[in-house]
Amino acid sequence: MSTRPILLVEDNPDDVELTRIAFAEANIANALTVVTDGAAALDYLFARGVHSDRDPDDLPSIVLLDLNLPKVDGREVLQAIRSHERTRSLPVVVMTTSAEPFDVEASYALGANSYIRKPVDFGQFVWAVKQVGLYWLVLNHGREPH
Amino acid sequence: MPQPLPHDRSARTDAVAGAMPAAEPRDLDAPAADADLAQQLADCRAELAATQRDLELLSHGVSHDLRAPLRAIEGFTALLDQHASPGLDATARDHLARVRAAAARMAALIDGLLALSRAARSPLSMVDVDASLLADWTFAELQDADPTRTAELHVQPGIVVRGDERQLKLLLEQLLGNAWKFSRSRDRIRVSVTAADVGGAVRISVRDHGTGFDPARGARIFEPFQRLHGADEGGGHGLGLAIAQRIAERHGATISVDAVAGEGCTFHVDLPRGSTGIATVADGQGTAP
Repeated sequence: MSTRPILLVEDNPDDVELTRIAFAEANIANALTVVTDGAAALDYLFARGVHSDRDPDDLPSIVLLDLNLPKVDGREVLQAIRSHERTRSLPVVVMTTSAEPFDVEASYALGANSYIRKPVDFGQFVWAVKQVGLYWLVLNHGREPH
Repeated sequence: MPQPLPHDRSARTDAVAGAMPAAEPRDLDAPAADADLAQQLADCRAELAATQRDLELLSHGVSHDLRAPLRAIEGFTALLDQHASPGLDATARDHLARVRAAAARMAALIDGLLALSRAARSPLSMVDVDASLLADWTFAELQDADPTRTAELHVQPGIVVRGDERQLKLLLEQLLGNAWKFSRSRDRIRVSVTAADVGGAVRISVRDHGTGFDPARGARIFEPFQRLHGADEGGGHGLGLAIAQRIAERHGATISVDAVAGEGCTFHVDLPRGSTGIATVADGQGTAP
């Protein structure tokens, strides 16, 4: 099981709090690192800007990515992750509010590993977060960091 | 009067796209009139494209920006309910339950409006569709969502029509969902899906044995937000049959209903045959594909 942190890219503070609680209720103990816009997500992942002291090989176990983000859009973040050798195989789960077929198709075309529409019902939200955690942190055998 | 909805707007724009320009008597020796018509056509097309873009933006905004605060309302109320409930009196707990129920209703309403808008604008990919399979699949989903109900579905096998598979699935979800909801007063839900050849079209009939309704009140049943039943009888957001009708229209199909109050109703969708002539009813009465 991966114990590296989960990177949550989410600008809505309510959704950040609900996701944090949902992970706790699902007994997922990985640390949750939160960045609130697309530019900060790229700085974190590529160890630059305010994150230039980070080890660029120290990648999160998964990235939970919202699509509508300030500064740099979620789709562009996904594109950047997929176009760099170091981050190419990082699991990215798009977790968003939209279920527009256009958003779903665009996300998969850009290389998203999963697409989750965040349910309004809190019980279903916890269930969805738990499934994401179980699959990507426990069941899936990912690449080990270098 | 119902408010004009995206539904109506799209109906108009489709009509513009299909049958423009308006058939004015034309003088064939007047190239100036032709140029004028060409200009009008170009203007109409530009306006149609702009309207469709607006609709897409609106729909994306509704999908994303209205659901997010709703999730916070529902989520934090649920947490309050979990953690503070022991210290609250019955009235306070009732208020929390009302907030959550209202959030759930609004979520269903937003999803219904999105489905209606999507039914009106998503591009159609016309193929031969196994409607029997779609009906079985849809009914299985309804049973999964409501596992305590006893339900029987009889589907005539081999109903093949020409249409957009995703949209026809959505249409059957509305009709079978409707049958399911309005059979809630029955011990068991009984629904049949059959097909017949009618004047070159394939008529699919979805019949239930639920509460039905008074046919005199049924004229506006396909209009958005028209509800013939209260929430206690299974009534929902009043968009399901509007979605079904919109999908039928876009397939060049007609949709109608026969109802008997207290005995159930039967919805009919007459889907035209495909231009290749291979859409058919493979039940021994029609021509096998």
